[in-house]
Amino acid sequence: MVYLDNREFMKALDEAGELVTIEQEVDWDLEAGAIVRKVCEEKGPSPLMNNIKDYPGHRYLGAPLANYRKLAISMGMDADSSIPQIAAEYLKRTSSPPVEPVILPKEEAPCKENILMGEDADLFLLPGPMVHDGDGGRYLATWHFVVTKDPDNGDVNWGMYRQMVYDRKTMTGPLLPFSDGGKVFHGKYKPRGEAMPFATVIGPDPLSAIAASAPSPIPETEFTGMLMQQPVSLVRCETVDLEVPAYAEIVIEGEILPDVSLEEGPFGEYTGYRTSPRDLRAVYRIKAITHRNNPITTISNMGIPTDEGQLLRSFSLGLEMEKLLRSQGIPVTGVYMLPESTHHLVVVGVKAIYTNIAAQIAQTVFGSKLGPWFHMVLVVDDKTDIYNVNEVIHALSTRCHPVNGIHIYQGVGTPLYPFLSAAERKKSVGPKVLFDCTFPLDWDPLSEVPSLVSFNNVYPQHIQEKVLANWEKYGFKP
Amino acid sequence: MFHYDVFVESLQNLPEGAEVQLAVRDLAPGLHKYCYSNVKALVSSDAEKYEHKLQVRFGRGQTHSVPYSIKILEPVERIPERWR
Repeated sequence: MVYLDNREFMKALDEAGELVTIEQEVDWDLEAGAIVRKVCEEKGPSPLMNNIKDYPGHRYLGAPLANYRKLAISMGMDADSSIPQIAAEYLKRTSSPPVEPVILPKEEAPCKENILMGEDADLFLLPGPMVHDGDGGRYLATWHFVVTKDPDNGDVNWGMYRQMVYDRKTMTGPLLPFSDGGKVFHGKYKPRGEAMPFATVIGPDPLSAIAASAPSPIPETEFTGMLMQQPVSLVRCETVDLEVPAYAEIVIEGEILPDVSLEEGPFGEYTGYRTSPRDLRAVYRIKAITHRNNPITTISNMGIPTDEGQLLRSFSLGLEMEKLLRSQGIPVTGVYMLPESTHHLVVVGVKAIYTNIAAQIAQTVFGSKLGPWFHMVLVVDDKTDIYNVNEVIHALSTRCHPVNGIHIYQGVGTPLYPFLSAAERKKSVGPKVLFDCTFPLDWDPLSEVPSLVSFNNVYPQHIQEKVLANWEKYGFKP
Repeated sequence: MFHYDVFVESLQNLPEGAEVQLAVRDLAPGLHKYCYSNVKALVSSDAEKYEHKLQVRFGRGQTHSVPYSIKILEPVERIPERWR
């Protein structure tokens, strides 16, 4: 089952008990944000808000993918699928051949139902929510992506770069120089004094959004097709040489200016803090807005876990790391990044067959293009269930030698890390740490390696089977 | 009821009675609430000194407990002509 847009996806969410429809008026000024925040903190159903103050005809969809059930539904899987099952399906689809997009004629693209050009293209005609009290402005773009193109080779990028409404024609936002979009802007357009065309896609279908948040080297237009297992339908923009998903709710077109910056932020960020200070950032000058009838603006509310940015970024970062490590022949048994870590801590299971394999893992992932987005690697043996937080904490607490097992590295990091000093944030430096939770291979397994005391490890097989067979007879719940 | 707000790193960015250039947000209710304007203005920590009330916020959004007032002198355009 593939959902071409959020309207189809919402029906599936509703059937699974993952949607709440709110008919009473909701204020775009903090109330909608507060609803979505509470939903994120409770891992609750997505709110569909049908009546937004000041904006008749517009709707909000909050927290569209902020738990694993919604992620499973978005991939056409049973809502109760386990995390390893969803991960296996994701790996299978994203390891298949790339699927090229198709271009629809304008008349067949719902996102062209309303076209606002020139003076009619006013950002305040869209219900940009004031997401958190104290934010620097109204963030129209919180669950969205920005489409850009490399001017030399034509490579297209979809990236989730937050955008704040500055005035009727202007948005501002950080465009970090080590992000894919940032590399092209800071490395090519800006030095040439040229504006970079952009198209912001708000309310994309769920799999396009997942593709845009994934740090894969595969172009997102093809990656989406791999996730969908069919081509994603695109349509050409009105004023810029870019294509956008035809079934998106809202598209904002324009240019990122090369020679001016304006204030942006602060903003409640995915780390659960307002970390990066208000600063001068990239300027998006708009030319056109197109949208569907009764458009649905998607809202993600970054803060303490769990929002969809944390969940999906953790999910895809971890799995892209697994692909990378396997491509290097490292015998990993699984990789899982905890969403609760705000995609900062990744747990890697490995069959430790040679000394310093944990260091090899850390150096490989820290040195890759994935490296700037996280800073903690925790390596456990192949017996530890990487998805079981209890087992992971136990491994960390009991097998990581405080002197020999913790290794510090210097690297590139985001200015959003709450633990960095202001000077470190300015330079995007990123200290990193490895927790090696494997016992040394040169320890004698019989006389030196501690033996794990667990139900599965210290009882003979026949005793385990007897206890399990009699579990309910003893009076326990199954 | 504030008419505008402004984000500052410190109160030193708001010298009493001196002309300063600021990016202020319009707090009037309605569609255009929170729209930014770049202006030259006079500000005061006396909330009654100038016509409009000004809410001061610090770098991470915290509100200053003291209400200020502001007199907007003229708009300032920061987007170069060729991009407008």
